[in-house]
Amino acid sequence: MNNATASGAMLRAATPYGFLLPALLVTALVILFPVLQTAWYSLHEYVLYDPGNFRFIGLRNFATAFSDEVFWIALLNSAIWVSGIVLLQLLLGLGAALLLNQSFWWRGMARALVIIPWALPSVIIGLMWTWIYDFNLGVLNDILLRIGLISAPHPWLAQPSTALACIMLALVWQGFPFFTVTILAGLQTVPHELYEAAEIDGASPWRQFLHVTLPSIAGIVATAVLLRIIWVANSLDVILVMTGGGPGYATHTLPLYAFLRAYTGMEFGYAASLSLMLTAILLGIVWLYVRRQAGELER
Amino acid sequence: MERRTFMKLAGAAALSFEAARPTIAQGKATVRWWYHYDNPQNTPASLVAKFEAENPDIKIQAEPIPWGGGTDYINRIFSALVAGNQPDCAMVRLSYLSRFGQMKALEPLDAFLGSWKGRGDIAEDVWKINRAPDGKQYYMPLHYVVIYLYYRPDLLQQAGLQPPKSFEDFLTAAKALTKDGVYGYGMRGGAGCHDNWGPFVLGGGASFDKGGMVTEKALAANRWFVDLAVKHKVVPPSAPTDAFRQIVDAFKAGRTGMAIHHIGSAAEMVGALGDKVSAVPVPRGPDGGGWTYFGDESNAIFTGSKNKEATFRWISFLSSAENNVEQAKLSGQLPITISGAKNWTVHPKRFVEASDASLPIARPLPDNVKTPDFVGRVLPTNLQRALTGGMNPDDLMRAVEQTFHG
Repeated sequence: MNNATASGAMLRAATPYGFLLPALLVTALVILFPVLQTAWYSLHEYVLYDPGNFRFIGLRNFATAFSDEVFWIALLNSAIWVSGIVLLQLLLGLGAALLLNQSFWWRGMARALVIIPWALPSVIIGLMWTWIYDFNLGVLNDILLRIGLISAPHPWLAQPSTALACIMLALVWQGFPFFTVTILAGLQTVPHELYEAAEIDGASPWRQFLHVTLPSIAGIVATAVLLRIIWVANSLDVILVMTGGGPGYATHTLPLYAFLRAYTGMEFGYAASLSLMLTAILLGIVWLYVRRQAGELER
Repeated sequence: MERRTFMKLAGAAALSFEAARPTIAQGKATVRWWYHYDNPQNTPASLVAKFEAENPDIKIQAEPIPWGGGTDYINRIFSALVAGNQPDCAMVRLSYLSRFGQMKALEPLDAFLGSWKGRGDIAEDVWKINRAPDGKQYYMPLHYVVIYLYYRPDLLQQAGLQPPKSFEDFLTAAKALTKDGVYGYGMRGGAGCHDNWGPFVLGGGASFDKGGMVTEKALAANRWFVDLAVKHKVVPPSAPTDAFRQIVDAFKAGRTGMAIHHIGSAAEMVGALGDKVSAVPVPRGPDGGGWTYFGDESNAIFTGSKNKEATFRWISFLSSAENNVEQAKLSGQLPITISGAKNWTVHPKRFVEASDASLPIARPLPDNVKTPDFVGRVLPTNLQRALTGGMNPDDLMRAVEQTFHG
């Protein structure tokens, strides 16, 4: 009897793990295994076209990266890339969400339209913006020339001083609807009574925004920012399509540099070490995100 | 019909279908072939249909792979090789041969070629160029292009100039044509820039031999090339990132007076400009030396192929007489067969003549494991830095030297 009770208790205790097992196995296969493989490659000299020369070199790839000028350029560009894009997307997304939270007759349509950039594939966005910026045929130069802001076309993507900012603008345009939709969802959960009470107390619309709206959506904004930082830090498709990292190293970010070393130079060992360093940097952000999510679950 | 009877009949039909299928499949070899055409709308469907009609035991699975300045295409081949998911055969270039050799990825064709009737229809020089350093023949020549200079006869005539034959002529013409929003030369500084850099820098005295990029002559030639943008400003400011599409579109739109490409873009150029476009070999250097890019294209069979005999039948079909002519039409390039070249009328004569006249100075890129990296990363990034003032042009040459010789 006692044995039966004990085995029943064990079965009950094991049941949740049984349910989790398929998901854990899939996660291990598609995430954990590639991560471990990348870590393993990063400790080796591994050139794809020379598989016979796969040999352990310890941390030499990491040491090479620290003395590689392009690594530091790419790291700085990555910092500018992530902070600039996420900040601008947040501000634009917040503004759009506040507008779309107002009552106007075509609000439904506006809410549907605003999602379009987010729904477009990155490659299409890259090509579209490349032609917008084109030196000879681009609409941006055409408009600026017509309104007299410039006297000659500007090579937006061919000048190191403007190339990164131009690609960032394309990505800001693509990603701001994510913030809009997320923040809009948050705004709709703010009780209307709070605004009524604030109004009775004589709070101006700005004060209401500052002391009612912002604290109410702070949680959701923080989660969205953390998620977006991870996504933007990893993204390289739009850069690859628009400039391929050029001119020179002007639009090289860390993931793009790792990609180029892996797929053009076929230096998988070195590229793995670059990827791993990016992962280490992002782990801090991931840790913050997971902590937030865990906190929300506990609540 | 009763339900039970229907089920029995349906089951029997399904079984007979399943039983019949493997018999067909077993008898039919499938050959996977990777290809790329400059015009992605072109398809080899009619060639495949003709081959399959002549060879009912072989099915061809032709898969178009994006070219992406060459980098995308070659990346996919090497990635597929490592993953063990390579096709049976693919279009390849000489500059990949070393890497393939290091991976032992290619099947020698000598045994097949010995009994192939079409061998004599391809010039012995072409076989010689395509022979591997180990003396074996891994490549089946398919078609080729030679880089030459497109120019606007009308604009040059207005300026009282002849098509440039020397670097000096070229600079004079580029300066004369640069006015009123038009630039003399549509330089390619983005993907594929080696075919614009090579004629002036390698033609001016640089070489891929050890130390060949850092001789005084080589450095001077490279400085001269970079100065076209930095000092003389005869190229569009967008040149550092302009690639194939941009240089062709700018030339077609009349924004540039000269451009360097091959016969593959002739149809587009003529479509936009008619008689106002012609071509000559790229100009020669100060000492009369010259270099232009020989854009070879061959087919090769991968060692992993399980249907090597069937695969050879397909690639030899593509390099035979009239099939090769059809294939060259699809690729927009020139046929490799002697019989095909004799009656070639697809491109206007002046472009074929310019290609032929360029052959004496035409060379492939070096057969070196570093060549794809040089083409895809080292040259574009460093040339762009030099063109935008972020690097001394001499450092660009040192970077190229280091890539090949450490």
